[in-house]
Amino acid sequence: MPNIPVIGDVTMSDILANPYPIYARAQQMGPVVRVEAANLMLVTRFDDIMEVERDPVTYSSENPHSLVVKVCGPNLMRKDGEEHQVERKAVEPSLRPGTAKRCWAPKLEDIVDEIIEAFEKDGEADLFDAYASPMAARALVAVLGLGDVDWQTVARWSQAMMDGNGNYGNDPEIARRAKQATDEIEQAIDAMIPYHLENPNESALSSLLQADQSKKQIYGNVKVFIGGGHNEPRDAILTLVLGLLQNPDQLAKVKEDPSLWEKGFEEAVRWISPIGMYPRLVTQDVELSGVQLKKGDQIGLCIGAANHDPTHFDSPEKFDIFRPKQPHLAFGAGAHFCAGTWVARILVSKLAVPRLFERLPNLRLKDPEAVKISGWVFRGPTSLPVVWDAK
Amino acid sequence: MTIITFVQPSGSKATVEVTEGLSLMEAALHNGVEGILAECNGAAACATCHVVLPKEVYDRLDAPEDHEEDMLDFTTADRQPCSRLSCQVSISEDMNGMVVHIPGE
Repeated sequence: MPNIPVIGDVTMSDILANPYPIYARAQQMGPVVRVEAANLMLVTRFDDIMEVERDPVTYSSENPHSLVVKVCGPNLMRKDGEEHQVERKAVEPSLRPGTAKRCWAPKLEDIVDEIIEAFEKDGEADLFDAYASPMAARALVAVLGLGDVDWQTVARWSQAMMDGNGNYGNDPEIARRAKQATDEIEQAIDAMIPYHLENPNESALSSLLQADQSKKQIYGNVKVFIGGGHNEPRDAILTLVLGLLQNPDQLAKVKEDPSLWEKGFEEAVRWISPIGMYPRLVTQDVELSGVQLKKGDQIGLCIGAANHDPTHFDSPEKFDIFRPKQPHLAFGAGAHFCAGTWVARILVSKLAVPRLFERLPNLRLKDPEAVKISGWVFRGPTSLPVVWDAK
Repeated sequence: MTIITFVQPSGSKATVEVTEGLSLMEAALHNGVEGILAECNGAAACATCHVVLPKEVYDRLDAPEDHEEDMLDFTTADRQPCSRLSCQVSISEDMNGMVVHIPGE
């Protein structure tokens, strides 16, 4: 049985700046590779991740040491089997494709227009702060049913919890901010419960109440939805805009044929997957593609790597909306397949990005060198300065 | 064991022997049947395991639950009267000899 190879010569800042060359190396080295800087064994090949995700008994989402559970409390992302299924089903009515199209699309369209209106005359903006972050946050508030919480608050909550989820060094200030965010979320939920009990509707909070979820379940899961539901659509919006601005020929084709927006979205989240890695706990000794894993091992499923696996995608580093149609792992796989997928598809590919190109004539990068992309567990553009011909 | 035939949009067929109690999606995956992607592995969340059942089998089964019902309107290939998500169909002995169609785009 081969030993698990180690990558010991890269730093965390190397990984954050550009993890893809490191992933390519790991894929060459073996099915499971320990990356010292991340202090984690990573699974980087597409087929291996699929195998892991099809065996939730051996590769569990539950983990007693999970920081997500520490920050958010018990939640569906860190549960398996029946328990997970019950909580997942509770929120499903709010997130179904039909609900997304019928109920959320008109509301989200109004938000898109309102946000663009606010900066349309400026002729230049950083789309991170001016557009993607408020768009994702306000969409989240609407879908969750959180009333009139402002977008900056949601962005702060989400960031504070994500920092808490990655607080492996036990920094007390990070822990304090995460605790403050989760306390505020509980207050915001409490403030909205009477309204939702009186007026059952299609928001997530209402669905959870209608499914008789306990306060503890509601708190835990709404926190996870906020922690995870802000940055992913934000990053997907920015990545799709970036991919198209860097490839004007593809942009021209999409403008000619709007049915291509959907392909553009799927390619964007494959190209730079907003969630790049998530963990699983090995519950029994098992062999994965010839590598022996032991009970208690923690492994990281590297979605970002799998979506650049050259055995599945030709020239994976290229943004190409005309790739042959094939599955990617940006929404995960298996029972924890992203519950928000359908809302995200509509928000990003039908509304937020097409409308932006429609309303901002001759939209282009202000300075291609000024674009910043960062992260590996979560990855996306962190600055996207653009200019356009303001009317 | 139950014998099931999957027919691709091209007309090519794969006849497989499967264990009762598995889902039709699992039967397809275990036998490498093309066109059944099953990205969510049975959570009825991705709509990538769309099949069309014979009418007599479709009628015999319980109607799809609300969630599957909604998802079926968003499959890549258009929904047909006897469309189901194969992950939600459990294989039983009385399906022996069934011919299942995988719809094309």
